[in-house]
Amino acid sequence: MVAIMFFILSLITIGGALGTVIARNAYSSALWMITSFLGVSGLFVMLNAPFIAMLQIIVYAGAIAVLILFVMMLMDRRVLENKDRFNPQYLWGAIFGAGLLADLLALALKFKIDISQAGKNLTINGSNTKMVGDVLFKHYLFPFEMVAIVLLVALVGAIVLSKDDEKEAR
Amino acid sequence: MLVEYMIVSFLLFAIGAVGVMIRRNFLIMLMSLELMLNGAGMILIVMSYYLGNVSGQVMFIFVAAVAASETAVGLAIAIMMYKRKGSIDINDFSVLKK
Repeated sequence: MVAIMFFILSLITIGGALGTVIARNAYSSALWMITSFLGVSGLFVMLNAPFIAMLQIIVYAGAIAVLILFVMMLMDRRVLENKDRFNPQYLWGAIFGAGLLADLLALALKFKIDISQAGKNLTINGSNTKMVGDVLFKHYLFPFEMVAIVLLVALVGAIVLSKDDEKEAR
Repeated sequence: MLVEYMIVSFLLFAIGAVGVMIRRNFLIMLMSLELMLNGAGMILIVMSYYLGNVSGQVMFIFVAAVAASETAVGLAIAIMMYKRKGSIDINDFSVLKK
């Protein structure tokens, strides 16, 4: 049963990723990306991480996808639908990606860790969210604040980059 | 099951990398970057499960925050490109080559 669920969810994930890269239209590419994110979120539920799975749906499949689709809405449809999907040097890119994949697969097949602790220590009183919050605010408080500053800087940077500079244009 | 999970996340990463390298549309390159980040985050969750340590899930929260800020800046750059040239084809932006 678990193996069947894993097969279905990984098929959704990998199929969505392939659709993102191959799709001709940018809109269908974004929808394939959402499909892939939902598959990954299902895999997270299988890995005893329900809080992260919900975060994945909210942040990736919700916020980021809507942001990208919103920017597409602002642009001309003919700009988004190019005649040529791929770069002229796409073959080199594909060969490089295949080499990267082969390298990573060799790593995965050789990888040995002690998995006697698998699936343990992930909950407090049966709640994964409590455990994540406990570790986040006891051991990772400083990185948490740093991430808040990164988000603030990205917000300011995005506003500065995309604001109208009509004075310079004239 | 560990090897299967690792293979899925590496496939996600590699497909995203190929998408960044071969597509011409800047927005689709951004989406492929998201796929790469998601593959890297997924290996964190897999290791968190198999090592019985919840730190990997905390790291995923940081990865998600960085991915969100990266998308915001990338989309601002895409809007600026569109305003300047009326195109988001990456081959129209080779100013530094000349």
